[in-house]
Amino acid sequence: MKTKKYNKLNTCLLGLAAVFCLNTAGFAQNPAPAKPQTRPIILTGATIHLGNGQVIENGAISFDKGIITQVGPAASGSTNNVEVIDVKGKHIFPGIISMNTTVGIQEIASVRATLDYSEVGEINPHVRALVAYNTDSEVIPTLRNTGILLSQAVPQGGIISGSSSVFYTDGWNWEDAVLKKDDGIWINWPSYLSTSFNYEDFSVSLKKNEKRQETIDLFRSTFSDAKGYAGISKPSPMNIRLEAMKDIFAGKANLYIRADYAKDIIESVKFAQEFGIKKIVIVGGDQSNKITAFLKENNIPVVLNQSHRLPNATDEDVYLPYELPGILTKAGVKVAISYSDEWWRTRNLAFLAGTSSGFSDIKPEEALQLITKNAAEIMGIDQYVGTLEKGKQASLIVTGGDLLDMRGNSVSMVFIKGGKVNLDDKQKRLYDKYKEKYGQK
Amino acid sequence: MMKKLSTLVFGLTLTSLCHAQETFPRNGTYDERTGRYAFTNANIVVDSKTTIPNGTLLIENGVIREVSKQVKIPAGVVVIDLKGKYIYPSLIDLDSDYGMPEVKNEARGRGRQTPQLESNKKGAFGWNQAVQPENDASQVFSPDAKKGGDLRKIGFGTVLTYSHDGIVRGSGAVVTLTDESANKALLNGKASAHFSFSKGTSGQNYPSSGMGAVALLRQNYYDADWYAKGGKTKETNLSLEAFNQIKTLPSFFETNDKYSLLRADKIGDEFGTQYIIKGGGDEYQRLEEVKASKATLILPLDFPAAYDVTDPWDADAISVAQLKHWEMAPANPSVLAKSGVSFAFTAADLKNKSDFWSKIRSAIEYGLPKEKALEALTTTPARLIKAEGQVGSLKAGMLANFLITSDDLFSKDNVIYENWIQGKKFILAPIDAPDLRGTYSFSINKAATGKIEISGSVEKPDYKITIKDTVKVTPKVTLANDLLTLTYQPEKKTPGTVRLTGWIAGKGLAGEGVMPDGSPLTWNAILTEPYKSVAKKDTAVAKIKETGPVLYPFVGFGNEQLPKSETVFVKNATVWTNEKDGILQNADVIIQNGKISKVGKGLSAPSGARTVDGTGKHLTNGIIDEHSHIALFAINEGSQTSSAEVRMSDVINPDDVNIYRQLAGGVTTSHLLHGSANAIGGQSALVKLKWGATQTEMLIPEAKTIKFALGENVKQSNWGDVARVRFPQTRMGVEQVYYDHFTRAKEYAKGWKEYNGAGKKTALEVPRRDLELEALAEILDNQRFITCHSYVQSEINMLMHVADSLNFHINTFTHILEGYKMADKMKARNIGGSTFADWWAYKMEVKEAIPYNAALMYHEGVTVAINSDDAEMARRLNQEAAKTVVFGGVPEEEAWKMVTLNPAKLLHVDNRMGSIKVGKDADLVLWSTHPLSIYARPEFTMIEGTVYFDRKEDVAKQTKVAAERERLIQKMLSDKADGKPTQKAPMTMPRMWHCEDIIGIHAEHEEGK
Repeated sequence: MKTKKYNKLNTCLLGLAAVFCLNTAGFAQNPAPAKPQTRPIILTGATIHLGNGQVIENGAISFDKGIITQVGPAASGSTNNVEVIDVKGKHIFPGIISMNTTVGIQEIASVRATLDYSEVGEINPHVRALVAYNTDSEVIPTLRNTGILLSQAVPQGGIISGSSSVFYTDGWNWEDAVLKKDDGIWINWPSYLSTSFNYEDFSVSLKKNEKRQETIDLFRSTFSDAKGYAGISKPSPMNIRLEAMKDIFAGKANLYIRADYAKDIIESVKFAQEFGIKKIVIVGGDQSNKITAFLKENNIPVVLNQSHRLPNATDEDVYLPYELPGILTKAGVKVAISYSDEWWRTRNLAFLAGTSSGFSDIKPEEALQLITKNAAEIMGIDQYVGTLEKGKQASLIVTGGDLLDMRGNSVSMVFIKGGKVNLDDKQKRLYDKYKEKYGQK
Repeated sequence: MMKKLSTLVFGLTLTSLCHAQETFPRNGTYDERTGRYAFTNANIVVDSKTTIPNGTLLIENGVIREVSKQVKIPAGVVVIDLKGKYIYPSLIDLDSDYGMPEVKNEARGRGRQTPQLESNKKGAFGWNQAVQPENDASQVFSPDAKKGGDLRKIGFGTVLTYSHDGIVRGSGAVVTLTDESANKALLNGKASAHFSFSKGTSGQNYPSSGMGAVALLRQNYYDADWYAKGGKTKETNLSLEAFNQIKTLPSFFETNDKYSLLRADKIGDEFGTQYIIKGGGDEYQRLEEVKASKATLILPLDFPAAYDVTDPWDADAISVAQLKHWEMAPANPSVLAKSGVSFAFTAADLKNKSDFWSKIRSAIEYGLPKEKALEALTTTPARLIKAEGQVGSLKAGMLANFLITSDDLFSKDNVIYENWIQGKKFILAPIDAPDLRGTYSFSINKAATGKIEISGSVEKPDYKITIKDTVKVTPKVTLANDLLTLTYQPEKKTPGTVRLTGWIAGKGLAGEGVMPDGSPLTWNAILTEPYKSVAKKDTAVAKIKETGPVLYPFVGFGNEQLPKSETVFVKNATVWTNEKDGILQNADVIIQNGKISKVGKGLSAPSGARTVDGTGKHLTNGIIDEHSHIALFAINEGSQTSSAEVRMSDVINPDDVNIYRQLAGGVTTSHLLHGSANAIGGQSALVKLKWGATQTEMLIPEAKTIKFALGENVKQSNWGDVARVRFPQTRMGVEQVYYDHFTRAKEYAKGWKEYNGAGKKTALEVPRRDLELEALAEILDNQRFITCHSYVQSEINMLMHVADSLNFHINTFTHILEGYKMADKMKARNIGGSTFADWWAYKMEVKEAIPYNAALMYHEGVTVAINSDDAEMARRLNQEAAKTVVFGGVPEEEAWKMVTLNPAKLLHVDNRMGSIKVGKDADLVLWSTHPLSIYARPEFTMIEGTVYFDRKEDVAKQTKVAAERERLIQKMLSDKADGKPTQKAPMTMPRMWHCEDIIGIHAEHEEGK
C-alpha cells in the first residue's frame, strides 16, 4: 500500500524521454536569505501558540541572536534597546516542520534532469540528500508563505534509500541551510501485499507479495554485516555503505522504515529491535490504527503519509485517513504528519493538520503539534525548534489567524533563527506582474 | 426469407444424416448402418414439461422416429431395456469455441508500443481490425476430440461455436459434438452473429476504451446501412458487405458484467436488434434494469470459490462486495428465473468442466426450479439459435441427441451412462455395472482374514476391509468388466502391501494374489449380507439456501433500501443562497418534492416535514465538480487525435465507492470528462451522485458537453520514445488538427442541411452519418459546449483564434493554469475558467502556474470554477475554494460560488442548480461550520430532496458493513471446514482516474508499486 505518489506526476515520469536543459539562472532569482539577527526583537500583542498546547492571548515574544529570550504576556517583555514590532491581533506559531519530503532534491517532476532523489541500486545507505539539496529551488520560497520553516529532504530509491537531512527553507547553500545533517537512514520494507494489473479487463488486484522474503533476507544479511562492521574500530578494507550505517547501531541516527500494512510494521520493528536499533521511526503507517497498542508499548513514533488521500479499501471508513492522526494521538502514539515524497504540495501541510482536528477528537492545538513539536522530537531537533520556549531558536511565523485553516493562514512575517525572512517568491512576482497588467489592486 | 433458408438447411441436414457424406470416396468397403435402436422402459423426459414414464424411444439413422408410451417396434431394431432409467435431450451450449482455431493474443507492448493506426489485415476489408463480420465459423470449424469428449462427458450434444475475437466477431455455426467429420457435425453454418466490447487480438490502437468500442460498433451499423444504400458504388468493403449479411441473424453479445450487459442492450435498441446477451453472472445486482432490457441471457456458471479468510487482517483485503457475490452468485439464476428473465446456461467459463453439475446443483439449492434449469440447457438455447426443430427436446423427426441417466438429471447421485449424438453412442459410465454392494467374508488361502464391505453407489462403490475385527483399512480398488484389482496394507505401521487380482464369481469374488513377502495366494469373498440402501433423505423438500440482501449499489456502503425524497424543514441555519440575498443568518429552508420550496426567516414546517435544527450550522448548495473522472469504467479513447464520437455516458459506473466518498465531502454533481490524451476528446457526462441509482437516473442528459485538450498530453510529450508517430507532436500541429476537423465538420453539416432541405430525395445520395463529425457540427451549431484542458498561454490564445475564425464558441478552459495571463481575452469572449487552487511544478507546462490564478481571473470578470480532476481532492473542494481567499483575496461568498453556482453556469444548468432559490433542485449540504473552514464537515448531503449521505447514518453503516462482513466470513469458514475449495484473497483496488491516465501507461505504473 505504499502511498502512490501523485499520479499526475508519475504519469509524466513514466514516459519521460526528453531531457530538458533547465538552467535556473535563466529565471528570476529567489530573494536573498535573511541576514543574521543583529539586535533584539520583541513581537507584542499577538496570540502566541507555543506548540506545546499552551496559548498566550495578547502575548509577547523576545529573541536575541536567534534565540528566544522570553515568552509571556505582552506586558512582561522588556522593550529597552529592542526592536519592537507590534503584531496586535495577529497569531504567532512555531515554524512548521515538514518531514519526509523531496523538497530541494526535486524541481519539475517530468524533467529528469531536475530529479535527485532516487539513486540507482538497491542498497545505498551511503547516499546523502544533504549534498544534493538545492537552496535555489523555486519551490522553497513558496513554502514559507504557508509557514513551512523546516523541511526534511529524503532519498527515495532502492530498499535502503540513503540518509536524510533537515533544512531551513532559507539559506545560501546547503551548508548554510542545514539544521541537522544525516539525521537518519531510510529503508523501504517490502510490502505484505503486492498489486498486479490485469491487461484483459484493466482491473488492479492485490495479493500476497510472494517476493518479499527475498528482500527481507537481503535486509537481514546487510544489517548483520553492518552491525558486525560497526563493532570494528578501524575496519579494513573500508566499506562506505556499511560505514554509513554505523550511526543507527550507535543510537545516533534514526532508522526510518517505510511500511504501511500492520504486519509490515510489526515485522519491521521487530527486525530493527533484533539488531539493537534504538531509534526506530515508522513512516507511512496507513494501517497503524490497527496496532496502536504495539506502537505505544514499543515506543515507536509514526510519520504518517498525507492524510488528504482516499481510504485504501472500498469498505474502509471514508474519513479514516483524516481521522488517523487523531486516533494515534489519543492512543498515546507519537505521531507527525507528512506529504510523503512530495515537494511543492508540502505547503499545504498545515491544512492536513487542520483537517485531522476537524475530523477527529483532537483540538487544533494538539493538531499543531503533529507538524511542530512531534516532528522535532522524532528527528531529535527539539532542543532547537518545535515549540516557542525560552532558549530555543526564534524560528517562528506571524499569521492573520488560525495557521491550520485557510481562513486564517495568511503568513505576514517569518523569522528563522531570529532573522527576518523575505517572503517574496516566483509566484508572487507573477501575481504582481499580472495585477499590473490588468490594473488590479 | 430467413425462415425459408433455415428450413432448407434443415432439410439438407436430414438428408445428409441418412447418407453420411455420400460424395466422399471410401478407403475400403462401405459400412453404412441404419442405426435402428429402441430404448424401452425408460422415463423419457421429452422436455421440461413432458415426461413419459415407462416409454419407448425409437431412433433410426441418427433421427428420432417415435417417442411414446407404446411404440410398435419394427423388426431389425436393437432393443435396449433401460429398466426405469431416464432419457433426457442432450444439452446445448451457446457460447462455445469448440473446434475453432485458437485465438492467439499477440504480446502487446503494454501501452508503450509504437502505435498501430491502421488494420494489419490483408484483403479488401474494413478499416478496423476489431470489426470482422467476415469471419465465418463454419469455414474454420474442425471437430476437436479432446474438447468434444470433455463436453460430451458432462452431457452436451450440440454447441453454437464462433471465433471469440474482436468487437464484431462474424457468424457462428451450430455443430454437434459427434467425433465424426465436420460435414456430419455442422447443422447450420450461418446461425448467428457475434459481438463484444473487447477488441481481442487486434493490435490496432482504436478503440482503447469501452466508450470507443461502443462508438466503433455504432458507426459500423451506420456505415453498413450507408454501404447498402449506395456506398458500395464508392468503395469496396468486404466487411460492411458481410455485416449486412449477418446483422439479421440471431445476434449474441458477450459482456462481462451487469453494466456492459445494459450497455450492449442500449446499442441493440438504437439499431432495432434485440441481442441475446452473455452476462457476467451478477445480474441480480441490477435485476430491474436487466429485466427491462428484455434480453434473453446466456449465464456463466463459474460461481466464485470461497476466499481464504483464516487470517483476519489478510481477510480485510477482501471487500464486502466480493464476499457477498460469493454468497449470491449461485442464487443469480434463481433470482432471474423468478422475475421472468429467460436464459440459457453456458459451461464455457468453467476452467474445470467437471464442475458443471455441482454448479448447476448449487443454483438449484438456491432456488432455481429444476424445470428452469433443464430449459436453460435444452429448449431455450435451441430456440435462440432457431434449432428447436432439431435439438433440445425429444420428438419425432429431431436429431437423436439424448442422454441416458440413472436418475433425475439434477440429483446428486445421478450418473450419465451414455450420451448419444446423432444416433451414435458415447459411453460415459457402464450402464450395466454389476452391483457388488454388500458385506463379504474374506479369506486368504482359505483362512478367514476378515470382512469386506462394499457400499456407496453401484457406479462408484466404496470399499472397506476389516481385518480380524479390529484393523480397518481402505483398499485401492479398480473394477472393469467383471475384473477387479485390490491392494491394501494390512499393518499400518509396517510397510507391505497385499496385491490381489480377481473376478466376480457367483455372488462373491475370487482370485489370486501376492503377499508382501512375495508368496503367492488365493483368495475369495463370500456375500454374507446383501446391501441395504439407506433411505433417501431428499424425499423431503430441500430447504432453499438463503442469502443476505442485495445492496444498491453493490458495495459495502450501498443501500439495502434506496433512500427516498423527503419533505425537510431546515431551521435556523446560516444559508448561503448564492443569490442577491447573499448569506442569510438564522434562516429556514423548506424542501418539498425534490425542490427548494421556501427560503426565509420564521417559516413554519409543512405537515409531514422532518425538521432539522440548523443552529450554528451552514446550509449551502451541493458542490458541483466541473472536472471529474470518478464513476467511470474508462477515461481516455486516446488512440486517435479526435475521438469526438465517444460518449462518457456509455461507461458510467454507479458502483464506484468514490461516489459515496464525494457525497461525504459535500459533492452532489460531477462533470465526468474524457481524458486529455487527444486534441478532441469525447462527449462528457454530467451526473448527480445519487448513490444506488441507475446510470440513467444519475445522468443529466440535457447537459451536452465535450472535452478538448491542449499541451503536453495531446502532443504526447511524456509518453516515451515510442509515441512519436501520431499527429500532432507539437503545438503547431495541434492548431491544424482543429482547423482540419472543424472545416470537415462544417462541410458535413452543410451536406446534411442540403439533403434534409431538398424536396425530392429519391435522386439524392444519402450522406454518410459520421458520429465524430456530428458531434463537432453540434459545437458549430452551439448545441454542445467545449471544456478544454489547457495550460500555457500560447495554446490558449491559439484555440481562441481558431474558434474565432471558424465561428464556434469555447465554453470553458479547464485546468487553465495560465489563465491569469489570458484573462482579458477570455473575458472578451465570455469563456469560463475552471482551475485548480494551487497545483504546479509537476511538469514543464505548469511551471508558471500560480495559486493566484483564480483570483486574477475572477477580478478580471471571468466566470471561475475550482475543480478537482481527482477523486481525493473532490471530497474537500470546499477547502480548495477557500484557498482563493488566501491567495488573491476573493470574497468568501464568491469563493463559494466557484464550487457551486459558477460550475453550474459553465455547465448551463444554473436554471435548476447552483443556488438556494425557490424552484431549484434541492441539492444541499448542511455543514458543521463555515463551509470554507478546514474544520467543516457535512452533516448531510442531499440531492433533489433525498439524503444520500448522513453523518450519523455513515457511522451506522460502518457497523453494519462490519457485521455483514463477519457473517459472510463465518459462513465461508464453515464451508472451508466442509472441504469446499478456497481461493487466495485478491482484492480489487478502487481506481483513481485523472485526465492524463492513459489506459495501460498508468496501469503499468501501478503495477510497479
